[in-house]
Amino acid sequence: MDSRKILIVDDNADIRLGLHLRLKANQYETFFAADASSAVAEARKHRPDLIILDLGLPAGDGFTVMERLKQIPSLAQIPIIVVSARNGLGNQKRAHEAGAKAFLQKPVNDAELLAVIRQALGEPAGTNKPTLYDQGSV
Amino acid sequence: MTEPTRRTSELTAYLSHELRNALACIHQFGNILVDGLAGELSGEQREYVRIMLENASKIRKVLDSALAETPDQLEESTNKIGRVSKLET
Repeated sequence: MDSRKILIVDDNADIRLGLHLRLKANQYETFFAADASSAVAEARKHRPDLIILDLGLPAGDGFTVMERLKQIPSLAQIPIIVVSARNGLGNQKRAHEAGAKAFLQKPVNDAELLAVIRQALGEPAGTNKPTLYDQGSV
Repeated sequence: MTEPTRRTSELTAYLSHELRNALACIHQFGNILVDGLAGELSGEQREYVRIMLENASKIRKVLDSALAETPDQLEESTNKIGRVSKLET
């Protein structure tokens, strides 16, 4: 079976690399965008199965990206998981209203992120080993 | 919203964004090392990364707690800290 494709949209290159390494270790293929305009362009180009989306982006924020994707019929149904450093329930509520499947605040729990991804993709629950941080020991 | 409260609110949003992104990187790469995604670590190396992650988690808890305050509460806390600092000097 082909790997599922995930588009990572974040303006922080270190965050993109960290997510890539974690997702690659879980057999996902990743693509990247660092701002709102390229997020839509990369989504058109690669037709990802899922998008991990930051909210604070150059050239329009994550809400702008969600709005633009909704207007493109072939991309409108791609599940979106918002992973943001922004504070507050307001952003969470707004993300859900904009159609996001989940809102996770940075720093994310790797096991939770993977579980949310699998759920959004309709995959069975994973058996990946939880990390130290995920086990609550640190 | 008063001007000082607005400024406190903006500062809170800025601090949240910058500190959470930095903490996210520490957690991500610390766990990548511990999980052996960049090669196996020795027992001693794992222990050092564990200490690093443990302390990053402490910072996160402090941050979560501080940023759970409303701008008014945060302004009051900041003022209190300012008053204590003046008394101490």
